[in-house]
Amino acid sequence: MSDEIAELRRRLAEAEDTLRAINQGDVDALVVGEANDPQVFDIGGGADAYHAFMEVMNVGAVAIDQDGRVLYANANLGGALGLTHNSLQGKLMSEVAPAPVALAVDRLLVPPLVGPVSTEVSFERGGEQLHFILAATPLRLSTTLGVAVTFTDVTERVRAEAAEQSERAARAVIASANEAVLVCDRQGIITHANGAAHAVFSGELLGRVFAEAVPLVFPDATGLITAEDIVQMAIQGTAVQGVEAHAPNAPKVKDYLVSAAPLQIGNDAISGCVVTMVDMSQRKAAEKQQLLLMRELDHRVKNTLALVLSISSRTLHHEDTLEGFQKAFTGRIQALAATHNLLAENSWTNLTIEDVVQSELAPYTSGAAGRLVTRDLGRPMAPRAAIAFGLVIHELATNATKYGALSVPGGQLTVQPLPPREGDDRFIIEWRESGGPPVKAPTRNGFGQTVIARSLQYSATGGAEVEFAPEGLVCRIALPLEDLH
Amino acid sequence: MTEASNPKKLTLYVAGQTPKSLAAIANLKTITEEHMPGQYEIEVVDLRQNPKLAKEHSIVAIPTLVRELPVPIRKIIGDLSDIEKVLVNLKVQGE
Repeated sequence: MSDEIAELRRRLAEAEDTLRAINQGDVDALVVGEANDPQVFDIGGGADAYHAFMEVMNVGAVAIDQDGRVLYANANLGGALGLTHNSLQGKLMSEVAPAPVALAVDRLLVPPLVGPVSTEVSFERGGEQLHFILAATPLRLSTTLGVAVTFTDVTERVRAEAAEQSERAARAVIASANEAVLVCDRQGIITHANGAAHAVFSGELLGRVFAEAVPLVFPDATGLITAEDIVQMAIQGTAVQGVEAHAPNAPKVKDYLVSAAPLQIGNDAISGCVVTMVDMSQRKAAEKQQLLLMRELDHRVKNTLALVLSISSRTLHHEDTLEGFQKAFTGRIQALAATHNLLAENSWTNLTIEDVVQSELAPYTSGAAGRLVTRDLGRPMAPRAAIAFGLVIHELATNATKYGALSVPGGQLTVQPLPPREGDDRFIIEWRESGGPPVKAPTRNGFGQTVIARSLQYSATGGAEVEFAPEGLVCRIALPLEDLH
Repeated sequence: MTEASNPKKLTLYVAGQTPKSLAAIANLKTITEEHMPGQYEIEVVDLRQNPKLAKEHSIVAIPTLVRELPVPIRKIIGDLSDIEKVLVNLKVQGE
Protein backbone atom coordinates (compact mmCIF):
# COMPACT_ATOMS: atom_id res chain seq x y z
CA MET A 1 0.00 0.00 0.00
CA SER A 2 2.66 2.47 0.98
CA ASP A 3 4.67 1.45 -2.11
CA GLU A 4 1.66 2.24 -4.26
CA ILE A 5 1.28 5.62 -2.61
CA ALA A 6 4.99 6.32 -3.17
CA GLU A 7 4.64 5.33 -6.83
CA LEU A 8 1.61 7.59 -7.22
CA ARG A 9 3.49 10.46 -5.57
CA ARG A 10 6.38 9.94 -7.95
CA ARG A 11 4.07 9.94 -10.97
CA LEU A 12 2.33 13.04 -9.73
CA ALA A 13 5.66 14.81 -9.25
CA GLU A 14 6.69 13.76 -12.74
CA ALA A 15 3.44 15.00 -14.25
CA GLU A 16 3.87 18.32 -12.45
CA ASP A 17 7.46 18.54 -13.69
CA THR A 18 6.33 17.93 -17.26
CA LEU A 19 3.61 20.57 -17.05
CA ARG A 20 6.00 23.08 -15.54
CA ALA A 21 8.56 22.38 -18.29
CA ILE A 22 5.93 22.82 -21.00
CA ASN A 23 4.70 25.96 -19.28
CA GLN A 24 8.15 27.47 -19.06
CA GLY A 25 9.00 26.66 -22.66
CA ASP A 26 11.74 24.21 -21.72
CA VAL A 27 10.59 21.73 -24.34
CA ASP A 28 9.78 22.10 -28.02
CA ALA A 29 8.18 18.75 -28.88
CA LEU A 30 5.55 16.50 -27.33
CA VAL A 31 4.64 12.86 -27.67
CA VAL A 32 0.90 12.57 -28.18
CA GLY A 33 -1.59 9.94 -29.27
CA GLU A 34 -2.57 6.56 -28.05
CA ALA A 35 -0.06 4.36 -26.36
CA ASN A 36 0.09 2.04 -29.35
CA ASP A 37 0.42 4.79 -31.89
CA PRO A 38 2.31 7.70 -30.40
CA GLN A 39 3.41 10.62 -32.56
CA VAL A 40 5.84 13.45 -32.05
CA PHE A 41 4.50 17.00 -32.49
CA ASP A 42 6.66 20.09 -32.58
CA ILE A 43 5.49 23.00 -30.48
CA GLY A 44 5.14 26.11 -32.62
CA GLY A 45 5.51 24.37 -35.96
CA GLY A 46 7.98 21.85 -37.20
CA ALA A 47 11.64 22.50 -37.85
CA ASP A 48 11.16 21.16 -41.37
CA ALA A 49 9.25 24.25 -42.40
CA TYR A 50 11.99 26.68 -41.54
CA HIS A 51 14.66 24.30 -42.79
CA ALA A 52 12.95 24.17 -46.18
CA PHE A 53 12.56 27.93 -46.16
CA MET A 54 16.25 28.46 -45.40
CA GLU A 55 17.27 26.06 -48.15
CA VAL A 56 15.53 28.07 -50.88
CA MET A 57 17.25 31.29 -49.83
CA ASN A 58 19.95 32.21 -52.34
CA VAL A 59 22.28 33.48 -49.63
CA GLY A 60 24.02 31.60 -46.83
CA ALA A 61 21.79 31.40 -43.77
CA VAL A 62 22.17 30.02 -40.28
CA ALA A 63 19.87 29.86 -37.26
CA ILE A 64 21.79 30.15 -34.02
CA ASP A 65 20.57 29.90 -30.45
CA GLN A 66 21.60 32.40 -27.81
CA ASP A 67 24.72 30.44 -26.93
CA GLY A 68 25.97 30.66 -30.50
CA ARG A 69 25.03 27.04 -31.28
CA VAL A 70 24.07 26.24 -34.85
CA LEU A 71 20.44 25.05 -34.99
CA TYR A 72 20.39 24.87 -38.72
CA ALA A 73 22.67 26.02 -41.53
CA ASN A 74 21.59 25.90 -45.16
CA ALA A 75 23.64 24.24 -47.87
CA ASN A 76 24.54 27.62 -49.31
CA LEU A 77 26.34 28.57 -46.10
CA GLY A 78 28.06 25.19 -45.84
CA GLY A 79 29.40 25.78 -49.33
CA ALA A 80 30.49 29.33 -48.50
CA LEU A 81 32.40 28.25 -45.41
CA GLY A 82 33.69 25.08 -47.04
CA LEU A 83 31.87 22.88 -44.48
CA THR A 84 29.33 20.12 -44.69
CA HIS A 85 25.86 20.38 -43.18
CA ASN A 86 26.62 17.70 -40.60
CA SER A 87 29.79 19.33 -39.38
CA LEU A 88 27.85 22.50 -38.54
CA GLN A 89 24.69 21.17 -36.90
CA GLY A 90 24.64 21.52 -33.12
CA LYS A 91 28.13 23.00 -33.01
CA LEU A 92 29.18 26.38 -31.70
CA MET A 93 30.14 28.79 -34.48
CA SER A 94 33.52 29.26 -32.79
CA GLU A 95 34.22 25.53 -33.13
CA VAL A 96 33.55 25.17 -36.83
CA ALA A 97 33.63 28.49 -38.66
CA PRO A 98 36.85 30.25 -39.73
CA ALA A 99 38.05 32.54 -36.93
CA PRO A 100 37.14 35.85 -38.63
CA VAL A 101 33.59 34.57 -39.26
CA ALA A 102 33.17 33.34 -35.66
CA LEU A 103 34.37 36.72 -34.38
CA ALA A 104 31.99 38.58 -36.67
CA VAL A 105 29.07 36.44 -35.45
CA ASP A 106 30.11 37.16 -31.85
CA ARG A 107 30.05 40.85 -32.64
CA LEU A 108 26.53 40.52 -33.99
CA LEU A 109 25.25 38.52 -31.02
CA VAL A 110 26.19 41.13 -28.42
CA PRO A 111 22.96 41.74 -26.50
CA PRO A 112 20.55 43.40 -26.56
CA LEU A 113 19.97 42.22 -30.08
CA VAL A 114 17.03 44.14 -31.46
CA GLY A 115 16.27 44.53 -35.12
CA PRO A 116 18.67 43.66 -37.86
CA VAL A 117 22.38 44.45 -37.42
CA SER A 118 25.11 43.79 -39.94
CA THR A 119 28.86 43.58 -40.28
CA GLU A 120 31.41 42.78 -42.95
CA VAL A 121 33.88 39.95 -42.82
CA SER A 122 36.60 38.62 -45.06
CA PHE A 123 38.38 35.30 -44.73
CA GLU A 124 40.45 32.86 -46.73
CA ARG A 125 39.08 29.70 -48.23
CA GLY A 126 41.39 27.49 -50.26
CA GLY A 127 43.84 30.32 -50.88
CA GLU A 128 41.10 32.69 -51.99
CA GLN A 129 40.10 35.83 -50.11
CA LEU A 130 36.31 36.00 -49.74
CA HIS A 131 34.16 38.88 -48.56
CA PHE A 132 30.73 38.55 -46.94
CA ILE A 133 28.18 40.87 -45.40
CA LEU A 134 26.57 39.28 -42.32
CA ALA A 135 23.14 40.44 -41.17
CA ALA A 136 21.53 39.20 -37.96
CA THR A 137 17.90 39.36 -36.94
CA PRO A 138 16.38 37.99 -33.70
CA LEU A 139 14.21 34.95 -34.27
CA ARG A 140 11.93 32.75 -32.23
CA LEU A 141 11.97 29.08 -33.16
CA SER A 142 9.07 27.50 -31.27
CA THR A 143 10.12 27.85 -27.61
CA THR A 144 13.72 28.85 -28.31
CA LEU A 145 14.99 32.38 -28.80
CA GLY A 146 17.61 32.55 -31.48
CA VAL A 147 19.17 34.64 -34.19
CA ALA A 148 19.01 34.27 -37.94
CA VAL A 149 22.23 35.28 -39.65
CA THR A 150 22.45 35.66 -43.41
CA PHE A 151 25.74 35.63 -45.32
CA THR A 152 25.74 37.61 -48.56
CA ASP A 153 28.73 36.99 -50.79
CA VAL A 154 30.16 40.34 -51.91
CA THR A 155 33.51 38.95 -53.05
CA GLU A 156 32.90 39.82 -56.70
CA ARG A 157 31.84 43.34 -55.83
CA VAL A 158 34.84 43.91 -53.56
CA ARG A 159 37.16 42.53 -56.23
CA ALA A 160 35.57 44.68 -58.90
CA GLU A 161 35.96 47.74 -56.67
CA ALA A 162 39.60 46.88 -56.00
CA ALA A 163 40.24 46.33 -59.72
CA GLU A 164 38.57 49.63 -60.56
CA GLN A 165 40.60 51.39 -57.89
CA SER A 166 43.86 49.96 -59.17
CA GLU A 167 42.93 50.86 -62.75
CA ARG A 168 42.13 54.38 -61.60
CA ALA A 169 45.49 54.51 -59.81
CA ALA A 170 47.28 53.24 -62.92
CA ARG A 171 45.56 55.87 -65.03
CA ALA A 172 46.49 58.56 -62.52
CA VAL A 173 50.10 57.39 -62.54
CA ILE A 174 50.28 57.60 -66.32
CA ALA A 175 48.48 60.93 -66.38
CA SER A 176 50.78 62.50 -63.81
CA ALA A 177 54.01 61.16 -65.30
CA ASN A 178 56.40 63.87 -66.48
CA GLU A 179 57.33 61.77 -69.48
CA ALA A 180 55.14 61.60 -72.53
CA VAL A 181 53.37 58.22 -72.38
CA LEU A 182 51.61 56.94 -75.51
CA VAL A 183 49.82 53.61 -75.78
CA CYS A 184 49.39 52.03 -79.23
CA ASP A 185 47.30 49.08 -80.35
CA ARG A 186 48.65 46.22 -82.47
CA GLN A 187 48.31 48.36 -85.60
CA GLY A 188 50.47 51.09 -84.10
CA ILE A 189 47.49 53.43 -83.68
CA ILE A 190 47.54 55.63 -80.58
CA THR A 191 44.80 54.64 -78.12
CA HIS A 192 45.90 56.52 -75.00
CA ALA A 193 48.11 59.55 -74.41
CA ASN A 194 48.83 61.43 -71.21
CA GLY A 195 49.05 65.19 -70.72
CA ALA A 196 52.81 65.31 -71.24
CA ALA A 197 52.35 63.61 -74.63
CA HIS A 198 50.98 66.85 -76.06
CA ALA A 199 54.51 68.19 -76.02
CA VAL A 200 55.38 65.81 -78.88
CA PHE A 201 52.44 66.68 -81.12
CA SER A 202 50.21 69.72 -81.10
CA GLY A 203 46.97 68.15 -82.36
CA GLU A 204 44.73 65.28 -81.29
CA LEU A 205 46.84 62.16 -80.85
CA LEU A 206 44.19 59.50 -80.33
CA GLY A 207 43.36 57.46 -83.43
CA ARG A 208 46.47 58.52 -85.34
CA VAL A 209 49.26 56.22 -86.44
CA PHE A 210 52.15 56.79 -84.04
CA ALA A 211 54.88 56.85 -86.66
CA GLU A 212 52.97 59.47 -88.68
CA ALA A 213 52.06 61.69 -85.73
CA VAL A 214 55.48 61.50 -84.12
CA PRO A 215 58.15 60.82 -86.75
CA LEU A 216 61.49 60.20 -85.06
CA VAL A 217 65.05 60.49 -86.27
CA PHE A 218 67.63 58.39 -84.48
CA PRO A 219 70.99 60.11 -84.91
CA ASP A 220 72.94 57.12 -83.65
CA ALA A 221 71.25 54.73 -86.07
CA THR A 222 72.16 56.66 -89.23
CA GLY A 223 68.66 56.50 -90.63
CA LEU A 224 68.29 52.73 -90.30
CA ILE A 225 65.58 52.87 -87.62
CA THR A 226 62.31 54.79 -87.79
CA ALA A 227 59.54 55.41 -85.27
CA GLU A 228 57.54 52.65 -86.99
CA ASP A 229 60.34 50.14 -86.39
CA ILE A 230 60.42 50.96 -82.67
CA VAL A 231 56.66 50.44 -82.36
CA GLN A 232 56.74 47.21 -84.37
CA MET A 233 59.57 45.79 -82.28
CA ALA A 234 57.64 46.46 -79.08
CA ILE A 235 54.41 44.97 -80.47
CA GLN A 236 56.36 41.85 -81.43
CA GLY A 237 57.62 41.53 -77.88
CA THR A 238 61.03 43.23 -77.88
CA ALA A 239 61.38 46.15 -75.51
CA VAL A 240 63.43 49.11 -76.72
CA GLN A 241 65.12 51.06 -73.96
CA GLY A 242 66.44 54.60 -73.81
CA VAL A 243 67.28 55.42 -77.42
CA GLU A 244 68.12 59.06 -78.16
CA ALA A 245 65.83 60.48 -80.79
CA HIS A 246 65.05 63.74 -82.48
CA ALA A 247 61.39 64.60 -83.06
CA PRO A 248 61.41 67.20 -85.87
CA ASN A 249 57.62 67.74 -85.77
CA ALA A 250 57.37 68.28 -82.01
CA PRO A 251 56.22 71.81 -81.23
CA LYS A 252 58.72 72.72 -78.52
CA VAL A 253 61.19 70.16 -77.24
CA LYS A 254 62.74 68.09 -79.99
CA ASP A 255 65.28 65.88 -78.25
CA TYR A 256 63.94 62.80 -76.46
CA LEU A 257 65.04 59.58 -74.88
CA VAL A 258 62.59 57.06 -76.31
CA SER A 259 61.61 53.69 -74.80
CA ALA A 260 58.98 51.26 -76.03
CA ALA A 261 57.65 48.16 -74.28
CA PRO A 262 55.11 45.50 -75.24
CA LEU A 263 51.72 45.97 -73.58
CA GLN A 264 50.53 42.75 -72.02
CA ILE A 265 47.44 42.75 -69.81
CA GLY A 266 47.36 39.79 -67.42
CA ASN A 267 48.36 36.62 -69.25
CA ASP A 268 46.79 37.67 -72.51
CA ALA A 269 48.69 38.07 -75.74
CA ILE A 270 50.46 41.36 -76.45
CA SER A 271 47.76 43.88 -77.22
CA GLY A 272 49.96 46.78 -78.25
CA CYS A 273 52.83 48.80 -76.90
CA VAL A 274 53.65 51.64 -74.54
CA VAL A 275 56.01 54.34 -75.76
CA THR A 276 57.58 56.75 -73.28
CA MET A 277 59.50 59.83 -74.32
CA VAL A 278 61.71 61.68 -71.83
CA ASP A 279 62.59 65.31 -72.51
CA MET A 280 66.34 65.44 -73.21
CA SER A 281 66.63 69.19 -73.68
CA GLN A 282 67.83 69.76 -70.13
CA ARG A 283 70.42 67.03 -70.46
CA LYS A 284 71.57 68.44 -73.77
CA ALA A 285 71.84 71.89 -72.19
CA ALA A 286 73.86 70.45 -69.31
CA GLU A 287 76.19 68.74 -71.78
CA LYS A 288 76.68 72.02 -73.63
CA GLN A 289 77.39 73.83 -70.37
CA GLN A 290 79.94 71.20 -69.45
CA LEU A 291 81.70 71.54 -72.78
CA LEU A 292 81.80 75.30 -72.30
CA LEU A 293 83.30 74.94 -68.85
CA MET A 294 85.96 72.56 -70.10
CA ARG A 295 87.00 75.02 -72.81
CA GLU A 296 87.09 77.82 -70.25
CA LEU A 297 89.24 75.71 -67.93
CA ASP A 298 91.61 74.89 -70.78
CA HIS A 299 91.90 78.59 -71.58
CA ARG A 300 92.63 79.52 -67.98
CA VAL A 301 95.25 76.83 -67.50
CA LYS A 302 97.01 78.00 -70.66
CA ASN A 303 96.91 81.61 -69.43
CA THR A 304 98.27 80.62 -66.06
CA LEU A 305 101.11 78.60 -67.58
CA ALA A 306 102.01 81.54 -69.82
CA LEU A 307 101.97 83.83 -66.78
CA VAL A 308 104.20 81.44 -64.82
CA LEU A 309 106.64 81.24 -67.74
CA SER A 310 106.75 85.01 -67.98
CA ILE A 311 107.23 85.44 -64.20
CA SER A 312 110.00 82.85 -64.30
CA SER A 313 111.95 84.44 -67.14
CA ARG A 314 111.50 87.98 -65.79
CA THR A 315 112.55 87.01 -62.29
CA LEU A 316 115.62 85.31 -63.75
CA HIS A 317 116.50 88.57 -65.50
CA HIS A 318 116.35 90.66 -62.34
CA GLU A 319 117.87 88.37 -59.75
CA ASP A 320 121.61 87.90 -59.47
CA THR A 321 121.78 84.75 -57.36
CA LEU A 322 120.01 81.42 -57.45
CA GLU A 323 118.80 81.96 -53.86
CA GLY A 324 117.42 85.37 -54.79
CA PHE A 325 115.67 83.87 -57.81
CA GLN A 326 114.18 81.02 -55.77
CA LYS A 327 112.84 83.35 -53.10
CA ALA A 328 111.35 85.88 -55.49
CA PHE A 329 109.95 83.26 -57.84
CA THR A 330 108.38 81.19 -55.06
CA GLY A 331 106.83 84.32 -53.52
CA ARG A 332 105.26 85.32 -56.83
CA ILE A 333 103.92 81.87 -57.58
CA GLN A 334 102.49 81.76 -54.04
CA ALA A 335 100.83 85.13 -54.65
CA LEU A 336 99.31 83.71 -57.81
CA ALA A 337 98.20 80.62 -55.89
CA ALA A 338 96.58 82.74 -53.14
CA THR A 339 94.35 84.54 -55.61
CA HIS A 340 93.61 81.23 -57.34
CA ASN A 341 92.56 79.70 -54.04
CA LEU A 342 90.23 82.59 -53.40
CA LEU A 343 88.73 82.26 -56.84
CA ALA A 344 88.32 78.51 -56.49
CA GLU A 345 86.62 78.91 -53.11
CA ASN A 346 84.20 81.32 -54.73
CA SER A 347 83.67 79.05 -57.76
CA TRP A 348 85.36 81.55 -60.06
CA THR A 349 82.79 84.19 -59.40
CA ASN A 350 83.71 87.77 -58.65
CA LEU A 351 85.97 88.63 -55.70
CA THR A 352 85.96 91.94 -53.88
CA ILE A 353 89.04 94.15 -53.78
CA GLU A 354 89.12 93.63 -50.02
CA ASP A 355 89.24 89.82 -50.47
CA VAL A 356 92.38 90.05 -52.63
CA VAL A 357 94.14 92.61 -50.41
CA GLN A 358 93.50 90.60 -47.25
CA SER A 359 94.55 87.34 -48.83
CA GLU A 360 97.82 88.69 -50.29
CA LEU A 361 98.80 90.59 -47.13
CA ALA A 362 97.86 87.89 -44.66
CA PRO A 363 101.43 86.46 -44.43
CA TYR A 364 102.87 89.92 -43.60
CA THR A 365 100.31 91.53 -41.33
CA SER A 366 99.03 88.67 -39.25
CA GLY A 367 99.84 89.13 -35.57
CA ALA A 368 100.29 92.88 -36.05
CA ALA A 369 96.84 94.30 -35.66
CA GLY A 370 96.34 97.82 -36.88
CA ARG A 371 99.26 97.83 -39.35
CA LEU A 372 96.91 97.38 -42.28
CA VAL A 373 93.99 99.77 -42.67
CA THR A 374 91.54 99.21 -45.52
CA ARG A 375 88.53 101.33 -46.42
CA ASP A 376 85.64 100.92 -48.88
CA LEU A 377 87.10 98.01 -50.77
CA GLY A 378 83.80 96.11 -51.15
CA ARG A 379 83.62 96.45 -54.93
CA PRO A 380 83.66 93.10 -56.78
CA MET A 381 85.88 92.47 -59.80
CA ALA A 382 86.23 89.78 -62.47
CA PRO A 383 88.72 86.89 -62.00
CA ARG A 384 91.10 88.32 -64.63
CA ALA A 385 91.47 91.60 -62.73
CA ALA A 386 91.69 89.77 -59.40
CA ILE A 387 94.72 87.72 -60.56
CA ALA A 388 96.58 90.78 -61.91
CA PHE A 389 95.68 92.93 -58.89
CA GLY A 390 96.82 90.11 -56.59
CA LEU A 391 100.27 90.06 -58.24
CA VAL A 392 100.59 93.85 -57.87
CA ILE A 393 99.67 93.73 -54.18
CA HIS A 394 102.18 90.90 -53.70
CA GLU A 395 105.02 92.96 -55.20
CA LEU A 396 104.10 95.99 -53.10
CA ALA A 397 103.94 93.89 -49.95
CA THR A 398 107.32 92.23 -50.67
CA ASN A 399 108.87 95.63 -51.21
CA ALA A 400 107.28 97.04 -48.03
CA THR A 401 108.63 94.12 -46.03
CA LYS A 402 112.14 94.59 -47.39
CA TYR A 403 112.46 98.38 -47.44
CA GLY A 404 109.21 100.04 -46.45
CA ALA A 405 106.57 100.34 -43.75
CA LEU A 406 106.44 96.63 -42.98
CA SER A 407 110.22 96.46 -42.38
CA VAL A 408 110.04 98.30 -39.04
CA PRO A 409 107.74 98.03 -36.06
CA GLY A 410 105.08 100.75 -36.05
CA GLY A 411 105.00 101.13 -39.80
CA GLN A 412 101.50 101.37 -41.27
CA LEU A 413 99.75 100.59 -44.51
CA THR A 414 96.52 102.17 -45.79
CA VAL A 415 94.63 100.84 -48.81
CA GLN A 416 91.56 102.75 -50.00
CA PRO A 417 89.97 104.08 -53.19
CA LEU A 418 90.77 107.63 -54.22
CA PRO A 419 87.81 109.97 -54.51
CA PRO A 420 86.71 110.40 -58.18
CA ARG A 421 88.37 113.34 -59.96
CA GLU A 422 87.10 115.70 -62.61
CA GLY A 423 87.97 114.55 -66.12
CA ASP A 424 89.25 111.16 -64.94
CA ASP A 425 86.73 108.38 -64.66
CA ARG A 426 89.22 105.67 -63.72
CA PHE A 427 88.75 103.76 -60.49
CA ILE A 428 91.95 104.13 -58.50
CA ILE A 429 93.04 102.29 -55.37
CA GLU A 430 95.73 104.03 -53.33
CA TRP A 431 98.40 102.06 -51.46
CA ARG A 432 100.06 104.36 -48.95
CA GLU A 433 102.83 103.43 -46.54
CA SER A 434 103.74 105.49 -43.46
CA GLY A 435 105.94 105.21 -40.38
CA GLY A 436 108.64 103.37 -42.27
CA PRO A 437 112.27 104.34 -43.00
CA PRO A 438 112.85 107.32 -45.36
CA VAL A 439 112.18 106.29 -48.94
CA LYS A 440 114.75 106.64 -51.75
CA ALA A 441 114.00 105.88 -55.35
CA PRO A 442 115.75 102.65 -56.41
CA THR A 443 118.73 102.87 -58.69
CA ARG A 444 117.42 100.25 -61.09
CA ASN A 445 113.98 98.97 -62.05
CA GLY A 446 113.38 95.57 -60.50
CA PHE A 447 110.96 93.06 -61.85
CA GLY A 448 108.59 94.06 -59.05
CA GLN A 449 108.17 97.45 -60.61
CA THR A 450 107.61 95.96 -64.04
CA VAL A 451 104.85 93.73 -62.63
CA ILE A 452 103.28 96.67 -60.85
CA ALA A 453 103.37 98.87 -63.90
CA ARG A 454 102.28 96.35 -66.49
CA SER A 455 99.97 93.81 -64.84
CA LEU A 456 96.82 95.82 -65.27
CA GLN A 457 97.68 97.34 -68.60
CA TYR A 458 95.70 94.70 -70.48
CA SER A 459 92.99 97.34 -70.45
CA ALA A 460 93.07 101.01 -71.43
CA THR A 461 91.61 101.98 -68.05
CA GLY A 462 93.99 99.77 -66.05
CA GLY A 463 97.54 100.43 -64.82
CA ALA A 464 99.59 101.47 -61.81
CA GLU A 465 102.19 104.08 -60.90
CA VAL A 466 104.58 104.20 -57.96
CA GLU A 467 105.61 107.41 -56.18
CA PHE A 468 108.69 107.16 -53.95
CA ALA A 469 107.64 109.88 -51.50
CA PRO A 470 110.24 110.26 -48.71
CA GLU A 471 107.67 109.75 -45.90
CA GLY A 472 106.39 106.56 -47.44
CA LEU A 473 105.82 104.79 -50.76
CA VAL A 474 102.55 105.54 -52.54
CA CYS A 475 101.13 103.42 -55.33
CA ARG A 476 98.02 104.28 -57.33
CA ILE A 477 96.44 101.28 -58.97
CA ALA A 478 93.80 101.83 -61.64
CA LEU A 479 91.50 98.82 -61.97
CA PRO A 480 90.11 98.17 -65.47
CA LEU A 481 86.55 99.52 -65.54
CA GLU A 482 85.17 96.65 -67.65
CA ASP A 483 86.22 94.14 -64.95
CA LEU A 484 84.61 96.04 -62.09
CA HIS A 485 81.02 95.39 -61.12
CA MET B 1 35.10 2.67 -6.78
CA THR B 2 33.54 0.64 -9.56
CA GLU B 3 31.88 3.56 -11.30
CA ALA B 4 34.47 3.83 -14.01
CA SER B 5 34.32 0.14 -14.89
CA ASN B 6 30.50 -0.10 -14.86
CA PRO B 7 29.17 2.98 -16.56
CA LYS B 8 25.53 3.72 -15.83
CA LYS B 9 23.21 4.49 -18.67
CA LEU B 10 21.55 7.79 -19.47
CA THR B 11 18.93 7.98 -22.17
CA LEU B 12 18.21 11.27 -23.86
CA TYR B 13 14.97 11.48 -25.80
CA VAL B 14 14.98 14.03 -28.63
CA ALA B 15 12.74 14.89 -31.56
CA GLY B 16 14.94 15.12 -34.65
CA GLN B 17 16.74 18.43 -34.78
CA THR B 18 14.51 20.79 -32.91
CA PRO B 19 16.47 23.62 -31.27
CA LYS B 20 15.93 22.18 -27.76
CA SER B 21 16.98 18.72 -28.91
CA LEU B 22 20.21 20.02 -30.38
CA ALA B 23 20.91 22.07 -27.26
CA ALA B 24 20.17 19.12 -24.96
CA ILE B 25 22.55 16.81 -26.86
CA ALA B 26 25.37 19.36 -26.76
CA ASN B 27 24.77 20.26 -23.10
CA LEU B 28 24.66 16.64 -21.95
CA LYS B 29 27.89 15.93 -23.78
CA THR B 30 29.56 18.86 -22.06
CA ILE B 31 28.25 17.95 -18.61
CA THR B 32 29.31 14.32 -18.71
CA GLU B 33 32.71 15.08 -20.20
CA GLU B 34 33.51 17.85 -17.77
CA HIS B 35 31.88 16.70 -14.55
CA MET B 36 31.61 12.92 -14.63
CA PRO B 37 33.91 11.46 -17.26
CA GLY B 38 33.50 7.74 -17.81
CA GLN B 39 30.63 7.37 -15.34
CA TYR B 40 27.80 7.34 -17.82
CA GLU B 41 27.03 5.74 -21.10
CA ILE B 42 24.75 7.92 -23.18
CA GLU B 43 22.08 6.79 -25.58
CA VAL B 44 20.26 9.34 -27.66
CA VAL B 45 16.82 8.21 -28.81
CA ASP B 46 15.23 10.12 -31.65
CA LEU B 47 11.48 9.76 -31.14
CA ARG B 48 10.79 11.28 -34.53
CA GLN B 49 12.39 8.21 -36.08
CA ASN B 50 10.70 5.82 -33.70
CA PRO B 51 7.88 7.34 -31.62
CA LYS B 52 7.00 4.00 -30.03
CA LEU B 53 10.17 4.09 -27.92
CA ALA B 54 8.48 6.86 -25.88
CA LYS B 55 6.45 4.21 -24.21
CA GLU B 56 9.31 2.60 -22.31
CA HIS B 57 9.86 5.63 -20.13
CA SER B 58 6.45 7.24 -20.65
CA ILE B 59 7.99 10.24 -22.36
CA VAL B 60 5.61 13.16 -22.92
CA ALA B 61 7.77 16.23 -23.38
CA ILE B 62 10.89 16.46 -25.50
CA PRO B 63 13.73 16.72 -24.75
CA THR B 64 13.85 14.52 -21.64
CA LEU B 65 16.82 12.87 -20.01
CA VAL B 66 16.20 9.60 -18.14
CA ARG B 67 18.44 8.00 -15.53
CA GLU B 68 17.27 4.44 -14.94
CA LEU B 69 19.79 3.23 -12.41
CA PRO B 70 20.18 3.37 -9.58
CA VAL B 71 16.54 3.42 -8.68
CA PRO B 72 14.45 5.44 -8.30
CA ILE B 73 14.29 6.42 -11.95
CA ARG B 74 14.87 10.14 -12.59
CA LYS B 75 13.71 12.36 -15.43
CA ILE B 76 15.05 15.78 -16.32
CA ILE B 77 12.90 17.69 -18.77
CA GLY B 78 14.31 20.51 -20.92
CA ASP B 79 17.49 21.35 -22.83
CA LEU B 80 19.79 20.71 -19.80
CA SER B 81 21.13 24.27 -19.93
CA ASP B 82 20.86 24.54 -16.12
CA ILE B 83 23.98 22.51 -15.35
CA GLU B 84 23.56 22.71 -11.54
CA LYS B 85 20.07 21.27 -11.74
CA VAL B 86 21.26 18.39 -13.92
CA LEU B 87 24.15 17.58 -11.60
CA VAL B 88 21.91 17.59 -8.50
CA ASN B 89 19.47 15.24 -10.19
CA LEU B 90 22.11 12.84 -11.45
CA LYS B 91 24.07 12.64 -8.21
CA VAL B 92 21.52 10.95 -5.95
CA GLN B 93 22.36 11.07 -2.28
CA GLY B 94 24.22 8.07 -0.92
CA GLU B 95 26.05 7.41 -4.12
